[in-house]
Amino acid sequence: MSSRRTFIKQSGVALSYILGGAHVLMTPAAAREREIALQVFSKTEVLTLEALADAIVPGAQKAGICHFLDHHLAQAAEDCLLMIKYMGLANEAYPDFYQAGIENARIHAFNRFGKSWAELNPADSTILLDEMATDRIATWKGAPASFFFFVLRSDAADLVYGTEEGFAKIGVPYAAHIAPKSSW
Amino acid sequence: MKKISSLHKVDTLIVGAGASGCLVAAKSARAGQNVLILEAGPERKLEDLFSSQIWARKLKWGGAHVEEEGNLKIGHAFNSGYGTGGSALHHFAVWPRLHANDFKVRDTYGVGLDWPFEYAELQPYYDRIQKEIGISGDASQETWRPPGDAYPMPALPVFPQGRIIARGFSARGMQTAPIPLAINSVPGNQRPACLFDGWCDAGCPTGALANPLVTYLPQALKAGCEIRHNATVTKILHNKPGTAVIGVEYVTRNGSVHQVLADTVVLAAFAVQNARLLLASRTDKFPDGLANEHGLVGRYLMTHLSTSIYGLFKEETSPHLGPTGGQLINQDNYANKQKENGAFGSWQWLIANALKPNDLLGIVNTRPDIYGAALHPFMARAARHMGNMVNIGEDVARFENRVSLSKTLDAYNMPLAHTVHNVGPEGDAMNMLAVKEGLEVFKAAGAVEAWQGPRFGMHLLGGTVMGSNPKNSVTDSYGRCHTLDNLYVVGPGVFPSSGAVNPTFTIHALALRTIEHLLKAG
Repeated sequence: MSSRRTFIKQSGVALSYILGGAHVLMTPAAAREREIALQVFSKTEVLTLEALADAIVPGAQKAGICHFLDHHLAQAAEDCLLMIKYMGLANEAYPDFYQAGIENARIHAFNRFGKSWAELNPADSTILLDEMATDRIATWKGAPASFFFFVLRSDAADLVYGTEEGFAKIGVPYAAHIAPKSSW
Repeated sequence: MKKISSLHKVDTLIVGAGASGCLVAAKSARAGQNVLILEAGPERKLEDLFSSQIWARKLKWGGAHVEEEGNLKIGHAFNSGYGTGGSALHHFAVWPRLHANDFKVRDTYGVGLDWPFEYAELQPYYDRIQKEIGISGDASQETWRPPGDAYPMPALPVFPQGRIIARGFSARGMQTAPIPLAINSVPGNQRPACLFDGWCDAGCPTGALANPLVTYLPQALKAGCEIRHNATVTKILHNKPGTAVIGVEYVTRNGSVHQVLADTVVLAAFAVQNARLLLASRTDKFPDGLANEHGLVGRYLMTHLSTSIYGLFKEETSPHLGPTGGQLINQDNYANKQKENGAFGSWQWLIANALKPNDLLGIVNTRPDIYGAALHPFMARAARHMGNMVNIGEDVARFENRVSLSKTLDAYNMPLAHTVHNVGPEGDAMNMLAVKEGLEVFKAAGAVEAWQGPRFGMHLLGGTVMGSNPKNSVTDSYGRCHTLDNLYVVGPGVFPSSGAVNPTFTIHALALRTIEHLLKAG
């Protein structure tokens, strides 16, 4: 049996930071609450990313989607645990992929409604997400909007449904072979 | 970079610590050989295998990027492993045999390539491997099964999801049988029985699933085999006349370059990396790479055509229970490869795979079109009422589908692998027929709604195919390179045809045949 600390680290959801010279493990939600500095995303990108991810998978913002992505994007290829790893992109292209998608989404929200994603009402947000998911955004550049939507949706689902708490939300027994000593 | 020569020479040097590499190592070391395995990835132990679909990605490929193109990309990062155990550490242990008609597709149907032997040649090796490792199943229910010994362990139980979907097959006059799984249904071989919790993709830490950490690697280490991790082989070395290989060059994490000499070199680094290594080992003597006099290294790259069928049922299906690879199998469409509408190829259904909420194959991505407020109700419903099965369809070996070297270099100045994989019209037609059948089965089983997932590539095969002569193949029937007697290739890269079954059982059987030949010849 592993310790709780080991489990949350190995589960891929806990993030490791150096604070005051010491390694500290915390969940992405805790990292967000404590406003741990990000390595990849800017504050502007965070505003868009949090609102966008939360619109796709409710709960993603509070679960710390920005810290989760930011942490793994800063890792070497073999330590990056994002699903983008399966999608055929080179590891060094991951940050650009996310940042370009976020910027495309920000521009589209502004062009369409003159607002940021955080300012959109649910109905307008749904219109934009539909357009993203079906590649109906003329100004979108780079990797297709639907691909970015798919990847970000999967990332958000990792955080919201891929943990013990997430399993419990939909009534699935986690039943780990190597289990945490306590729920987290 | 500093070049350091090794202080000793080994009898057998193996590149890669996956299923076939560990088997070859175990048999060689137990025969008294001095054996060294070089593994590019990190060391993995059972206690590292944490039950999480996010953590599971750590077991997948983490080495140099592989470029992919084609109408069915090979999905290298998803299909390949990295570290001790290789891809077999995360494999689902679905172990059906190839069928007799898989071995002569060129002769019989005029497509693809033939194996240099028939099923009967491989049968005793299948039988011996299943006895050594243990397979759970019920051969009597597999009406399509080629000849072979009965399985040494009873079948694993079938859970509600499997029973419900089986109704659909039965209603259409089709057969289902327990999947032959290299997972203990009862304790055996000093390994416990399965707990049915569906964490196979994250690696099985209990040892119920036959991954290399609990099968051949312990035997190899006990017999004195050495394994070095984080050791990426970048070049195979040959003697001046070009008549034999003499060892390899490898790079460690700190960038230091080492050479190890060996009497025999066995490439066990999986389909793409074996081909890449042969091509990248070019010299003045072999300007196109080793064993590539006829331009066949990298050619005939294959991946199974796979599509999942999903459905929601009124009854509770408990889709979290059971092995990830599934509970039941159907191979009614295996014997007849020439199908209607120009379709070609066998297929099988793996029925009632255990599902987790997240990840590429998880519940959430069965309906990527659902998001926002509608997502949670779907997740909650699907977690109790979803059924699924996956179709595995044959891929035809095509000369144009290949691994070649990219112009882009990796961190060790080795060219990246560039892969091309396209499916022809006969594969498209086969996949369409299979999906149609799958949806009909789900309707017949009582699904309230049923739909298909996207087509994707499952398993990697070919690239260093075996055959009867140097003009049609890279290796002979034992995996020995035609032009370099002491250079062997093992693993699915030597398959001349893909069949439509998961390859790991065949990989073991072939590796056993190879090493016994090598030891006898040596």
